[in-house]
Amino acid sequence: MLEMNPAPVLVEDMIALTQRLYHEARLLDAERFEDWLELLCDDVTYRMDLKRRRFRADRSPPAAVGAGVVFNENIARLKLRIDRLRSGYVWAEDPPNFVRRVISNVEIEPADAENEVIVHSVIVIHRNRIDGLARQFTAGRTDRWRHGTQGWCLAARDIALDHAVLPDSNINVFF
Amino acid sequence: MDVSDLVDTTTGRQKRTIYSNEELYKQELERIFGRCWLFLVHTSQIPKAGDYFRTFMGEDDVIVIRQKDGSIKAFLNSCTHRGNRICRADRGNAKAFTCNYHGWSFAPDGSLAGVPLENEAYFGELDRSKLGLVQVTHVAEYKGLVFGCFDPDAPSLEDYLGDAKFFLDVWLDAMPGGTSLLGETQKMELGSNWKLPVENVCGDGYHLGWAHAGAMSAVQSMDLAGLSVGNSSTNLEGGLSVAGMNGHMALTSLDGISGYAFYPEPKPMMDYLEANRPTAIERLGKVRGEQLWGSQINITIFPNLQFLPGLNWFRVYHPKGPGKLEQWTWAMVENDMPDEMQAAILDNQCLTFGLAGLFDNDDGDNLAACTEQSRGWRTAQMDVFTNMALGRSGPRDGFPGDIAAGLVSEHNQRYFYRRWQEHMQAESWAEVPTYNINSLSVEEPENA
Ligand code: FES
Ligand SMILES: [Fe+2]
Repeated sequence: MLEMNPAPVLVEDMIALTQRLYHEARLLDAERFEDWLELLCDDVTYRMDLKRRRFRADRSPPAAVGAGVVFNENIARLKLRIDRLRSGYVWAEDPPNFVRRVISNVEIEPADAENEVIVHSVIVIHRNRIDGLARQFTAGRTDRWRHGTQGWCLAARDIALDHAVLPDSNINVFF
Repeated sequence: MDVSDLVDTTTGRQKRTIYSNEELYKQELERIFGRCWLFLVHTSQIPKAGDYFRTFMGEDDVIVIRQKDGSIKAFLNSCTHRGNRICRADRGNAKAFTCNYHGWSFAPDGSLAGVPLENEAYFGELDRSKLGLVQVTHVAEYKGLVFGCFDPDAPSLEDYLGDAKFFLDVWLDAMPGGTSLLGETQKMELGSNWKLPVENVCGDGYHLGWAHAGAMSAVQSMDLAGLSVGNSSTNLEGGLSVAGMNGHMALTSLDGISGYAFYPEPKPMMDYLEANRPTAIERLGKVRGEQLWGSQINITIFPNLQFLPGLNWFRVYHPKGPGKLEQWTWAMVENDMPDEMQAAILDNQCLTFGLAGLFDNDDGDNLAACTEQSRGWRTAQMDVFTNMALGRSGPRDGFPGDIAAGLVSEHNQRYFYRRWQEHMQAESWAEVPTYNINSLSVEEPENA
């Protein structure tokens, strides 16, 4: 949430970052994965943690070794996923599915590092897969974008998936 | 319904209607899920008094609760007043469960502890002692795995598991510290009949090289190549398909390391195996300690529990109608494994067989499509086949079960459908045959 007196975010940055998110979505919709990788910092972290579903009053401790993840990727693991999708053997993606991302609720706030900002957004991914089978994933994202010589690159993305039970048989998409 | 013609184990044939027929599905809920021992929870998931875990037995919503005395009870997750679900959380710790509808409150031992306006509205005439939560008939534990059973006439859990314990112990009892399931439940909805994923994992080594070709080709670059060594057509001889143990199955390599060889950083895993091999041999004997512990193994406990030492995922399938299921997965570890190794296993399980699992994500559409292609008027009448390597099984020194060589065979699937048919034909447990083929008459000593 923006503070009452946040360090000002420049309008140009706001526009540039919002455009980045839209651009990113369009690249991924078109399976332009290599172009998408160009938008990521080399040290990018890309995570989606499994969520707990507990009563509000519950005091049971978090899992010792960790909750587990859906994604816990660095650049090498993202490339590994792209290698799989590019292999020509991922039958669930052939013929290509109709995939459309909607990005919304973009909010930008300063980060600790001077050349970085935090960007909140919501993503809805529509997929029409086999015949009439249409599925939708909804998630919130908290990103850290870093400004360098090449403009803004994604340094970290935390994705909160809003489904207790995954409503499809794969997640062959990036958020 | 008579199912005698729907499955033919001698030829390896099934009628497709078994994946889509509503009436058969209801019969499965009664005769399979209402009768068999079903996995409920791992003791590591409810360590303390008041810890509870919500799960399903067939389509029945169940809460499993650790009692004050350390025992474990399971109850239908349904209020005895008007039937509302009393718990909507996945798990946690609770002193009581209060129903959202009218506020009846149940203690962890299932007793009805509080009723709003008990005197004013019921005039003190309500017999609370008769309105406790309905208890699951039998709950029993086998070395950390807690099972429940609705059928009062069921055999004991030990007898139910039979010779599958030979393989179960390779995971549950190789090390003195026992085992745990890690993390939150990874839940996925699949448009598949529940039998298809069970059949796939219990015996279908055949699909690995093709269905998972994309993952195989990508993951090799990360040195997970051991997976294809264990399971693809590159090594047809190097394993066993074991069945004929009361409907339970194992699919196993025999090298003692293949389960861990494919990890991105296998060194710490190999070190762990080497350091603890003598312990495993001491506890399990030579055959299992040397050849099975550390190997990639698929273990199936009929009807819906599967876990894979090596890939280290642990899974149950909850049926949600003939054409739908929920797949629940956890990572599994031995408690003697160092923390970093446990963390690496959890991470790798999520990467390979998690919700976005590089391998797991290849299976769902195939299973769903097999289900859909059994629903048409014409397709429902058609057959499907599990006739690979028919008649090529037998005993094998040192192992129980009816065994086919190699991991690519449909031997185990035939036994799965045989068990399905036996249960579906039987009116009661008395009519269900018990068999542990080629049982090891002389057990290997527990402590050699
Ligand atoms: S249904 Fe639970 S209190 Fe009435
Ligand atoms: Fe598979």
